[in-house]
Amino acid sequence: MAPPKNKIKVLLAQFPLEAHSRGIITVAGMLKDAGMEVVLIGNELPERIIEAAIQEDADVVGISTYCGGELALGTDLMKVAEEKGIKDNTAFLLGGIFPPRNIPELEKIGFSGAFLSANKEEIVACIEKAITVKKGAG
Amino acid sequence: MNNEKTTREIIEERIAPKKRTPLYSRGALKKIKEEFKRWKNTVVREPDRENWEVTPHTIIGSEIPRELLYTPLSNAELDYQADLGFSGEEPYTRGVHPNMYRGRAFTMRQLFGAGSPKECNRRMKALLEHGATGTNWALDLATVQMFDSDEPESRGQVATVGVPIDCVADMEVICKDIPIDEVSASIVTHYPRNTAIVFPMYLVMAERRGISWDTLPGSVQNDFIMESLVRSASEYIPPRDDFRIQCDNIEFLRKNVPQWNYVTLNGYNLREWGTSGITEMAVAVANGIEILKEMTRRGHDIDWVAERLAFFWAPANDFFEEVARMRAVRRLWYKIMKYRFEAKKPRSMWMRCHVQTSGVSLTREEPMNNVIRAAYQALAAVLGGAQSLHVDSFDEAYSIPSVEASLLSLRTQQIIEAETQVTQVVDPLGGSFYIEALTNDIERRILDEVDEIEKMGGIVEVVTSGWLHHKVIRHIEREQRMIADGQIKVVGRNYHRDPNLKMPDVWVHEYDEKINRAMGDKLAKLRRRRDNQKVSRCLKALVEACRRGDNVMEYTLECARADVTEGEMRRAFIEAFGLWKPPIYG
Repeated sequence: MAPPKNKIKVLLAQFPLEAHSRGIITVAGMLKDAGMEVVLIGNELPERIIEAAIQEDADVVGISTYCGGELALGTDLMKVAEEKGIKDNTAFLLGGIFPPRNIPELEKIGFSGAFLSANKEEIVACIEKAITVKKGAG
Repeated sequence: MNNEKTTREIIEERIAPKKRTPLYSRGALKKIKEEFKRWKNTVVREPDRENWEVTPHTIIGSEIPRELLYTPLSNAELDYQADLGFSGEEPYTRGVHPNMYRGRAFTMRQLFGAGSPKECNRRMKALLEHGATGTNWALDLATVQMFDSDEPESRGQVATVGVPIDCVADMEVICKDIPIDEVSASIVTHYPRNTAIVFPMYLVMAERRGISWDTLPGSVQNDFIMESLVRSASEYIPPRDDFRIQCDNIEFLRKNVPQWNYVTLNGYNLREWGTSGITEMAVAVANGIEILKEMTRRGHDIDWVAERLAFFWAPANDFFEEVARMRAVRRLWYKIMKYRFEAKKPRSMWMRCHVQTSGVSLTREEPMNNVIRAAYQALAAVLGGAQSLHVDSFDEAYSIPSVEASLLSLRTQQIIEAETQVTQVVDPLGGSFYIEALTNDIERRILDEVDEIEKMGGIVEVVTSGWLHHKVIRHIEREQRMIADGQIKVVGRNYHRDPNLKMPDVWVHEYDEKINRAMGDKLAKLRRRRDNQKVSRCLKALVEACRRGDNVMEYTLECARADVTEGEMRRAFIEAFGLWKPPIYG
């Protein structure tokens, strides 16, 4: 029997132009405190983010966004994830500043959570739930 | 590492022999000391005595312990002339001008930019009609990060949080009908490379309108700390090269655009990213010192360089700390200029600054509370003697500000200026036992951190090594834990939170796909109509100038004249300097 992978691995990234990183660093700290393994890759195009997620064998991909582009680039991200076959077994979350009315659309394209503000417990709960759904009960 | 003396050592050496004239007589101090002891032991209650010193915990606060009561004993060695003096005179603690706001009110400079260049032009004119006394441009992320509007990286982000500028033609639209030789423009080109690329477009626009560069008032940011440390990005050049471009820009502007403030040493964004008010100032001051050392090395006269240097600070919620910080850094900068650089002109010794109230201290919960926060922060800045002010809008935790929120911010400034009467008296808190003790403490702490940076090899070195990045990351992580456990109180969020809290319906700026397309069409046309051979020659010359060590702005100016776009110039810099990876990503 393979040893259980007990630490949730989260890859955190931002889209190419995002200049703010207080949010992503804050969330990285929260998730480390919650016992998760965090890989911070910085600013990348959607293709590169998915490539890194595959390389790192990440359970979760988290995107931090402040300055727009969440729908356009989020759609691109999901498209690449689907092409590369990781959309169904990886949880995608997004947080930052964007119009609240975009939340339903972000969920529709495949984000398990889209946060405008959240504390550690809310983010952790969302990740755990999304992983259970994505990876099934086993 | 080397035997060069640190700034602190030089200042201490030069000040030590000066004879001090204490304000308080020994006899009076002795009597106060006895009475203070009696009062503290008999009148003050036991728990207050035991908690005599408390340390405030606030967002991006400096955690400087405060006593219950301050007295002359808190600053027993005060020498009035040496430590405070009169406004407009050394050591400038009380302000850089003798009459301060009676002479000229602080410049009310609300940051603005969103939508197309045409929309930006319309809204800037509206702010000027409402009494704003300068323009302050936010650039969109593509422009800040130096990508053209039609590059794949810019997708979905053109004109979202500022105005897009790809080439001179955009500058012409933004400034149409604005008297650029009268109204000062703060063009928030955060980075040295961004300044080297975008500012020449402004100069070429002025040239095409027939306006002499000598008459142009305004400022650019041009801060390598912003480019190499504070921002997140997909591409960086090595900090040493970035620092050099910062200095090239300064040299060019000083020579050719004499009224322009060529650098805004930006403490603001560093502090807002996540650091204390002490580190904010220490880093900006250390960068200022390094710039002046480099300019001296290049053979320039210190007074010629220094008179146009300006700072940018973030006042947060700890009211008296903010007032004292402005006074402290004003005195420290004077000492640095006087003793470390031996400046002769008073103007060179002035710490002049623009201030913007703190964005990270605002909350999404109950956003109208942010009006109150910003007003107190603005008041602290004015009591501290700021030259220029931007008040954050209450909706900034949601979006770039709406028209009405932006007007309310301007009104906040106007109410301070015209109704509160705080501008009638210069440095009104000067002489307070508390303020003076806090000013001393803060000045000492800033200089301690400058000293620490210098001993590690200077500002470029502590950025390159990642030491500063990790200091900020530790601050952010610790602060988050303190908010989570309630040690830092944030009203409406973790303190007195409304159990039935509902997020209000706040207007948010929506992305307009049409602007992205229009900018793309404009670029396509531009690339067809311009002389593309000339474009290639100019870009090649820029790469070679970077490698040779010539002043880069001479060459980006030629690029702007040839209608080279921002993204093209960015790539030339990368070709010349190569990429650098900041030491925070694994």
